[in-house]
Amino acid sequence: MSTFPSRSVAVRLGRALLTAALLASVSAGAAMAQSYDKDATIRIGSLYEPQNLDNTAGAGQGINEAFNGNVYEALFQLTDTGSVEPVLAADYKVSDDGLTYTFTLRDGVTFHSGEPLTAADVKYSIERVTAETSKSSRKKSLSTITGIETPDDKTVVITLSSRSISLPYNLSYVWIVNDAATDITGTEDGTGPYKLAEWRRGSALSLSRFDGYWGDAPTNGEVLFQYFTDATALNNALLTNAVDIITSVQSPDSLAQFAGNPAFTVTEGASTTKELLAYNDRVAPFDNVKVRKALARAVDKAKLLNSIWGDYGTLIGSFVPPTDPWYVDLTGVDAYDVESAKALLAEAGYPDGFEFTLDTPDYDPHPIVAQFLQSEYSKIGVKVNINVITANEWYTKIYQAHDFQATLQEHVNHRDIVFYGNPDFYWGYNNPDVVKLIADSEAAATVDDQTAKLKEANTIIAEDAASNWLYLYPQIVVSAANVTGYPVNGLNAQFFAYDIEKAN
Amino acid sequence: MSAIELTEDTGRSRPSLTLWVGVVLVGLHVFIALLTVVWTPYDPLGMTGGRLEAPSWAHWAGTDRLGRDFFTQIMLGSQIALVVGAGAVAIGGAIGVSLGILAAFASRWLDDALAATLDILIAFPTLLIAMLVVAASDEASLFTAILAIGLALSAIVARLTRILAKRVLLLDYITAARTSGTSWPGIVVTHVLPNIWPTLAVNFALQFGLAAIAEASLSYLGLGAPPPNASWGHLLQEAQGTVYTAPIGAFAPGLALVILVVGINLLADGLRDFADPTRSARR
Repeated sequence: MSTFPSRSVAVRLGRALLTAALLASVSAGAAMAQSYDKDATIRIGSLYEPQNLDNTAGAGQGINEAFNGNVYEALFQLTDTGSVEPVLAADYKVSDDGLTYTFTLRDGVTFHSGEPLTAADVKYSIERVTAETSKSSRKKSLSTITGIETPDDKTVVITLSSRSISLPYNLSYVWIVNDAATDITGTEDGTGPYKLAEWRRGSALSLSRFDGYWGDAPTNGEVLFQYFTDATALNNALLTNAVDIITSVQSPDSLAQFAGNPAFTVTEGASTTKELLAYNDRVAPFDNVKVRKALARAVDKAKLLNSIWGDYGTLIGSFVPPTDPWYVDLTGVDAYDVESAKALLAEAGYPDGFEFTLDTPDYDPHPIVAQFLQSEYSKIGVKVNINVITANEWYTKIYQAHDFQATLQEHVNHRDIVFYGNPDFYWGYNNPDVVKLIADSEAAATVDDQTAKLKEANTIIAEDAASNWLYLYPQIVVSAANVTGYPVNGLNAQFFAYDIEKAN
Repeated sequence: MSAIELTEDTGRSRPSLTLWVGVVLVGLHVFIALLTVVWTPYDPLGMTGGRLEAPSWAHWAGTDRLGRDFFTQIMLGSQIALVVGAGAVAIGGAIGVSLGILAAFASRWLDDALAATLDILIAFPTLLIAMLVVAASDEASLFTAILAIGLALSAIVARLTRILAKRVLLLDYITAARTSGTSWPGIVVTHVLPNIWPTLAVNFALQFGLAAIAEASLSYLGLGAPPPNASWGHLLQEAQGTVYTAPIGAFAPGLALVILVVGINLLADGLRDFADPTRSARR
């Protein structure tokens, strides 16, 4: 283990202190950091059980929550505050033309299997994500990589076909996996502070402290993710001390049980989870901008947000949440206006409206959102047929086969406006200007230039009403008052457990 | 059931009271169901109130998360429960009586095979069979729910029909009819059905209640008609997340279901006392 404090350790400490200060201000009397149990088991209650353990095999957001930063690390990490920090990359250099990145790997890093981290592992890990068979949603963002060289065990040279200013950011999605590991859908071999102890499918996933970890040891001994299919059961588990933390509360009604009770701490952070009505922009009538704008104007989103979240949550005018650098307040574009929605439909050639099928995932809040939309759209003569599907059906029918008219989905990722620059994405939005702006923003020489281009793209997708962005979820974490040090923003649904302290 | 014991303890005056209470409770639901065909207090999809309003004069049972009138939805739930109950009993009755009669008339080998199959089917909970049928069909709808529950009930009806029919077939006048050359369809129509019909009718009434509960369970699990449907099971499921802040959402549909099922059971008990020849013979 290195004897000097590394940068990321310093960052982590700073973050821990910040979080502790925040929490202390929320609940006076929360246990202070000195008297915590170093071998405590932190029991985390979640609704997002991963489908498998491989983030390139369609495992769902649950795997990011359990494994990002805990079991697997990447060259870089997206921290809970939204910055990108080097982790397994000790240092990196960019050539003047921006096409060659040279990464130097951190010394003394070993995988859970005991093998040392080498440049070959990094090459293998990146190729897993960019492979033909990979189902990673970030595959496209790494497509500029043309070559990965490993001149020695500690150096990785990545060459690009064009500039990619967010390469470090995109690499934060790439788990560094031991190249000896072949199938990791049921097991793991990462470098993180925890190793997988046991996965009981349908119930729990337990992680135990990895003693060979290169950085600071976690402030707890074991982490147990317990999976629930029902939010009420999850809340009861916290009330009865069967779990210590709920990673994200899914309904404002359950908060009444915790708010104002000194035994619990309620924290509202900034989420990146967007609820959206995604049309299949390839098919009529959704290929018509006027129809999409009409559908955007016909929904009273403030009322919808209040129905689902009470006083929590935020309205958004496009796909970009306020925590992304290219956020612009676009809530005024296609604001709620039923009369102009009717007029637009008539202009588009649908004076009597039309009928469409809304594929609705069978879990909250989608069915109730679907009913709200059905009611709103009936006022402009558009008939919505609700077809309830499972999460698996959504993945095969909509994400893979693009066989749908419109669907509801929550998108959890940070900085995911790039999906609108990909005409092959499930919603099939194809505006050459946006494709170009998003591609050019990647090739930008400076972050300012990148931000300016993405702001422009953001404004265009809003004007095009590419999808119907209904609202931004609040990120609400509730814990027992003796547990502190957890991330509050849940960016990318990550939930770093290594700084969590449980008072005796 | 306690109602049965009561009637046996106290003689003839109670059954009519049982029947009357049953008729009133079921009649209430039938009235509401018919009423909703032509009129409801609010548009069932109209978001006329605020989020989870408490009961008031404007909204007798409060509103749901979307601000829709909850009482309207419970009224519509009556319609769904009665339609599913009637549909499932019709399907279950038609299939069950046919199979039961067939088994009663069949050769010993076929009869034994049918009886064993029915026993196995009955060993599965009604709801489980219904879930299998719904899962096998492409998408869940009110019709698949009716079909599924009907098929599940048919095994129970078939077993009862078989036993009743076999008992009738042993009677002397059947032997007389057979020897005089009456065909077996003739025997079924003129002798068997009229004899077993009263008992079957009572059983159908009980199955009706079971079907209503099964439909609520399927909808609760998301295997009933797609939203927006006002099935009580679906309403219960939606109210589950808000049970602490708006308990009426879970209470009201449950109460409606209890009233219907208790009413049907009382009705069936009352009917039995009038209609069942074996019981009147005992008195």
